[in-house]
Amino acid sequence: MIEAEGLQKVYGDIVAVQDLTFRVDPGEVIGLVGPNGAGKTTTLHCLSGITIPTRGRVRIAGYDLATDAVAAKSALAFVPDEPHLFEYLTVEEHLRFVARLYQVEDVEARLPGVLRELELDDRRGSLPEELSRGMKQKLAIACALIHAPRALLLDEPLTGLDPVGIRRMKATILDHARSGAAVILSSHLLHLVEEICSRVLIMRRGRVLAFGTIEDIVASRPELAGLRLEDVFLGLVGQEGVEER
Amino acid sequence: MRSPLGYLAVRSARNRIMRQVRRLRKPRYAIALLLGAAYLWAVSARHGPSPGGPPDISPAAVELLAAVGVTLILLYTWLFGSDRRALAFSRAEVTWLFPAPVTRAQLIRYKLLRGQFVVLFNVLLWTFLLSRDLAEEPWRRAAAIWILLTTLTLHRLGAALLKASLWEHGATAVRTRAVSLTVLGGVALLALVDASQAMPALRQGWEAGPRLFLLAAEEYATRPIPHALLFPARVLVRPMLAGGWSEWVRELLPALAVLVAHYLWVIRSDAAFEETAAAAALARSRPQSPAKRAPRFTARPVPPLAVQGWPAGALLWKNLVSVLRAGRVRSVAAGMAVAALALLGLSLGDSNGTVLEIVGWMTMMWAGFLFVLGPQWIRNDLRTDLARLALLRSYPLRGAAVVGAETAGSTVVLTALQLGLVALAWIAFWGGGVDEPPTAVRTAVLAGAAVLLPGVNFLAMLIQNGAVILLPGWVNPGSDRPIGVEALGHNMLIISGFLLILAALLAAPAAAAAGVLFGLRSLGWWAAAPAALAGLLLMALEARVLLTRLGRVYEATDPATVPAAELP
Repeated sequence: MIEAEGLQKVYGDIVAVQDLTFRVDPGEVIGLVGPNGAGKTTTLHCLSGITIPTRGRVRIAGYDLATDAVAAKSALAFVPDEPHLFEYLTVEEHLRFVARLYQVEDVEARLPGVLRELELDDRRGSLPEELSRGMKQKLAIACALIHAPRALLLDEPLTGLDPVGIRRMKATILDHARSGAAVILSSHLLHLVEEICSRVLIMRRGRVLAFGTIEDIVASRPELAGLRLEDVFLGLVGQEGVEER
Repeated sequence: MRSPLGYLAVRSARNRIMRQVRRLRKPRYAIALLLGAAYLWAVSARHGPSPGGPPDISPAAVELLAAVGVTLILLYTWLFGSDRRALAFSRAEVTWLFPAPVTRAQLIRYKLLRGQFVVLFNVLLWTFLLSRDLAEEPWRRAAAIWILLTTLTLHRLGAALLKASLWEHGATAVRTRAVSLTVLGGVALLALVDASQAMPALRQGWEAGPRLFLLAAEEYATRPIPHALLFPARVLVRPMLAGGWSEWVRELLPALAVLVAHYLWVIRSDAAFEETAAAAALARSRPQSPAKRAPRFTARPVPPLAVQGWPAGALLWKNLVSVLRAGRVRSVAAGMAVAALALLGLSLGDSNGTVLEIVGWMTMMWAGFLFVLGPQWIRNDLRTDLARLALLRSYPLRGAAVVGAETAGSTVVLTALQLGLVALAWIAFWGGGVDEPPTAVRTAVLAGAAVLLPGVNFLAMLIQNGAVILLPGWVNPGSDRPIGVEALGHNMLIISGFLLILAALLAAPAAAAAGVLFGLRSLGWWAAAPAALAGLLLMALEARVLLTRLGRVYEATDPATVPAAELP
């Protein structure tokens, strides 16, 4: 599970994330949406231990990220919006490298399944520069899945994937959630969020505008009744959000 | 400002300066700046009027040496200069400027204007560093250095464009430049013949001492061919050496003429500038299309990573793989293997011992150079991984483990290279009737190096990686080293700081080792083993303290605040 309590991140005079409190239970997929600059990526960085929050607390699978960082990070995986790969490691070596970092004991048993699931089996000996953008993205996701994380943080995971890849990726994320992982997915693809996320967290300027199921959000704002997530989102972020989009 | 490219260059420079000034709010940057300024002040103060009257070298010899230095730099530019660096444009510049309605000449002028930021920094630095030896007024000195550095920058760009054109157009380019290339080849041949004729006199001067060698060199430089070859360089260095105001003005005009000639040469170059620069920019930033260039890495087999073990060991393995798969390393390893075989053959055979002795000492000299410069050159550590700092930070590892494993990667490579060179020297001194230094001493040196170098190199690399964490804005990230005359001053500052810190770190282990050696002197050479052990133990202790501190800094570093922590 993922817990954030009073999370705040300040850069100089800029408040990137302010007073963020929420909890993602095992099996849940939370959609993190908001206009550009809303603080989505900063939030994911705080949750994954990349960035230290100015204030607040993050717990991953029961471990406090501030006081027990290694145990907390061992339980989570973060997939950035740009696949940061090592240009001198092959596909298979990337997976073995990550497996060693996360002390995966049954890597030999897991490797074929992950490679097959992400359609990378015939590219296992390829270097990243021999891969397309979509294949690199798949490799980054494979690296995240190889250690079966209990918390999965995905920042725009479908960028660069073809329609088949998108469909497979949706299935992979849902399968992973069903197996007991808590998933947070940041995306501008609102139809995707609507399709696979159980709850939605809408942010603007570092603050939470709404959090809950779409039905919950609509119930609190009767004027949004009957609208799809895209219209709910536009209704909540207002004209400013429309311009930013 | 009317020109958008001028606006871009000026605003970029302004913003860069402002960013560096803002960074001074952080104490570590402010302290580093103060230390750098203190160093410059110390150097310039030391360079006050020299005691004991004028230096023991004639102005003509100084001019000759400076001209030879500049000529060697120009020669290096043609033979080994990197077109990729000379034509470097950022991806953003290629994306926005190349499709824009601007002419090639405007692009080149923009590139030159942008380069002035670095040139002016180096003018400032060299004006301080050379304050004793050059003209008295700082502004005259600065103007002369500016002309020299700007001309060298132009020359590098011109050479890169010409080489790119020859490469791009192949036989056609060679045909169109047949006359100039033939003249160039002829001049080179004549210069070689002329030099070989002058060699006996030069050798005689060399054997008689530096003063007579300089006189012989001055005599040789008056011959028509060396005089003509050195003339442009002499013209460029004369304003720096001019004594009075009138002499300075007199020497400045020809130097300006050389500068203008270079400018016209570059601006009128008919090379496919945009294509070449775009290719260079894309190569720098690792393009998506691999078909257009040779791969930087090849997936050749490497020792596999063990499934279980120290988690951070994966980082060490990864960094060693990055070296094993780079083409350059294969060339170095093959070169060393061939050299070892050749030396072995010469040592076993009935060859000239003097040659082997020279090779042996040169190899040892290179090992020594690597001690100072290796930590700057070998960068398969945090410096290369700084662009992936966010990814590294997401791994379940303690900061000290990350810093330690990253540092170990470059330490292993540097140590292997140094030991390889010492081993080559061991072989070189072996045969040909040399055996000097004796085998026992050489073997002791080799064994001592094998024991001590890993510890010394780890501390050296820890300083480099510590600088990346503490002062990320001041360290050149990635695998590329800054090169060129402009970078020399900056590098001097960095190397001086590095050597000072390394010396401070090695002082205690050296003292401990010396103490043990003295205390156990009754054991003779056998005391070397416990002495080395004492030194190693202290080095390990220092490394542990440093790793703990740097690990904490690493854990507190936010990738968003590190400018270099972005992939291109």
